[in-house]
Amino acid sequence: MEDKKMTEKESLELITSMIKRTRERYIGDGNILLMWGYLTVFVTALVWIMLVLTHNSAWNWLWFLIGIVGGIATPIMSKKSDRKSGVKSYSDKITSQIWITVGVASIVATLFCIGFALKGFNAWGMMFAIPLLIVPMAEISQGIIVKEKSLIIGGAIGLCVGLFTFCCLVGNVRLLINWFLPLFMVAFACMMIIPGHIVNHKARLQR
Amino acid sequence: MKELDPILHSQLRLAVMSILMSVDEADFVYLKEKTESTAGNLSVQLDKLSAAGYITVTKGFVGKKTRTTCKVTEEGRQAFEEYVETLKDYLNL
Repeated sequence: MEDKKMTEKESLELITSMIKRTRERYIGDGNILLMWGYLTVFVTALVWIMLVLTHNSAWNWLWFLIGIVGGIATPIMSKKSDRKSGVKSYSDKITSQIWITVGVASIVATLFCIGFALKGFNAWGMMFAIPLLIVPMAEISQGIIVKEKSLIIGGAIGLCVGLFTFCCLVGNVRLLINWFLPLFMVAFACMMIIPGHIVNHKARLQR
Repeated sequence: MKELDPILHSQLRLAVMSILMSVDEADFVYLKEKTESTAGNLSVQLDKLSAAGYITVTKGFVGKKTRTTCKVTEEGRQAFEEYVETLKDYLNL
């Protein structure tokens, strides 16, 4: 393309063609979803095994690995992904703000739980319900924005497990590790690992 | 009839503005690829758009490599919308 003058008709055709080209964009990648999904499933499995083997509740500190590792890896991976696509659309901007909100809400929820623990109340059970409520909501929103069914379905499954967990907590049903932790892992696999692989597969086909 | 904005009424500058109107921001490599232009020509046209206040050009570093990011300004958005309206008048749309 050169710096030449055009007729009015050519101008209009050029605008239409450029707008179309921005739509033929890179779908994005599911690597961040996969990182969170595998990280959560791995840490959950590790905590479950250690609790079963040792009966020592100190292993619950391992849960913090999810926030620390994920919190460090996400901005690095996100920058890499932006650099790869070379463009940030309005939908990218909205979905990134939705996920930032999820991150901030999770940090605030953790601080509340720590505050409760310092006062002698155990509110840690909420940390199972909260990720299964806010993460699926964000994922469903992202799925609607980018028109990706696997995110909507995965998010819906996670949300159902989240609502069930919330009902258990309110109804004083004990979340026993032998049934709840496997359920938690399945929810994260459906919510992040499966959609992450589907998105990556679609991105590969698009390239 | 109102005259078409000379800053926008040029093939490469109009192509760049059309792309930037559809996205939040785009980098130099992306613009070069989508407009199928040469780096030198694109750079000159980006400078002209920037001098007119239609876009902002931010130069930064990603690791050791430079990255130039372009974003349309409010003034650029208005100019583009006016340009399209004038174009419609010319074409009786």
